[in-house]
Amino acid sequence: MATMKFLCDTKRCIECNGCVTACKNENDSALEWGIQRRRVVTLKDGEPGEASISVACMHCTDAPCMAVCPTDCFYRTEDGIVLHNKDTCIGCGYCFYACPFGAPQFPQKSTFGGRGKMDKCTFCAGGPEEDHSEAERLKYGSNRIAEGKLPMCAELCATKSLLAGDAGVVSNIYRERVASRGSNKAIWG
Amino acid sequence: MKNILIALSVALNLLFCGFAMANTAEEPSSANELMWTQVKDGAQGVTTSKGQAHNQLINTYDMRVFQLRSDLLAPAIMAALFGMIIVFVLFIKVNGISKLHGGFSGKMVHRWSKFDVSIHWLGAIPCLLLILTGLTLLAGRFFFHPYLSEGLWAGLINAAKLVHDYMAIPFMFGWLLMTVLWAKNQMPKMYDIKWMLYVGGYINFGPFKGKHPDAGFANAGEKLWFWTFALFGLVICASGMLLLFPNVFEPSRTLSLIALVLHSVSAIIITAFSIVHIFMATVMSEGGMECMVSGYCDENWATQHHNLWFDEIKQNGTLTYKK
Repeated sequence: MATMKFLCDTKRCIECNGCVTACKNENDSALEWGIQRRRVVTLKDGEPGEASISVACMHCTDAPCMAVCPTDCFYRTEDGIVLHNKDTCIGCGYCFYACPFGAPQFPQKSTFGGRGKMDKCTFCAGGPEEDHSEAERLKYGSNRIAEGKLPMCAELCATKSLLAGDAGVVSNIYRERVASRGSNKAIWG
Repeated sequence: MKNILIALSVALNLLFCGFAMANTAEEPSSANELMWTQVKDGAQGVTTSKGQAHNQLINTYDMRVFQLRSDLLAPAIMAALFGMIIVFVLFIKVNGISKLHGGFSGKMVHRWSKFDVSIHWLGAIPCLLLILTGLTLLAGRFFFHPYLSEGLWAGLINAAKLVHDYMAIPFMFGWLLMTVLWAKNQMPKMYDIKWMLYVGGYINFGPFKGKHPDAGFANAGEKLWFWTFALFGLVICASGMLLLFPNVFEPSRTLSLIALVLHSVSAIIITAFSIVHIFMATVMSEGGMECMVSGYCDENWATQHHNLWFDEIKQNGTLTYKK
């Protein structure tokens, strides 16, 4: 099976936030107000060497969220996508502390600083519920993987900066780009 | 002089040109590497997202924290609870309990006020629930989850989190009141060393048999428990506040992970001591439990376990019996 990964080519990203909008729209049924699964971060904004990068869950092979979760609600699909079960999630926030990329987000809910169920990018692969069921749609959003399609953010990226798919295929595309740019140093920024 | 100035300016020019050329030649790689290094060091950028920590690309910290939790802290809290229970049951089977030599006198001596008894239970009942739910939160996924269905596990862990959150509040009040109000009776004294050497007179065989080392209002073991509870209670309350009220204290992600580890370590120590404390009060020391039920203790229990305290209150006239 494939090992699904995202890759953002910072030489191409123009900070249009199209991926953010595509994600929001595609997974709207599951997203509470204020939650966005993907964001574009611009470094050195307005300065020489400005670079933008689109980030969401990186679907780590050795995922820290999975390691730290007290409920053990994370699982990895056979495509290497890291998903979680919102019925088991207790909203403790440990995955947010552990994730290096700030992917897990929580709706504010309940008493104290209590959080609601964690939400993060699913690689448009839904959740543990039956594929395309109403429960899956309401909790996790779309399931494009089950339809044989790639995540909406990457599919709609206007500059093809954001790539999603099997790690081998994605890195081959990227390697070709870097080769045609004529410098093996032109990776970041 | 003029020549020297010209030579100097040329030299300076060359020097700057050299720098400039070096910069243009190195620019792509050094700028890229610098940016990547900054990103890994937690550089922050600009984003339209209002999500928590969303302007930072990478948060770096010591990833060994996960191994520490799964391989050390989780088994340790299981050992601190279940292991200590097994150890104590075996100890009592071998050693037997500490009986009152003269039996119960029936004369009850005032030891704790009603207020003292109530703050004890204000801390103690939440503490027990916090230990059980905290153990589920730290070690449950390794020790309970494999034997439960997903639905049952989800219900258990959700309930554990809820109880843990709510019980934290009365526990903190109990901890604070006990620590502040009882500290004056818990100051270490010289005779505490002797008490420790004789293990409090609780060993019923060998050279320890029948020994009753001196003890004041609190014996050395109780003092050790008190100060352990005071110190690790402080750590557990402080770290717990960061985890319970992230909206108020806004700790960084790395600080939250540190708080999580400190919280677990303190919990393990308090759990192990709690088991000892409960066994001592309920089973080991005959007549001990009465103190935290009515606030009174049997006169024979007082003379056997807290002789110096009993002598003192007898002398200064504060000794009062239950009417």
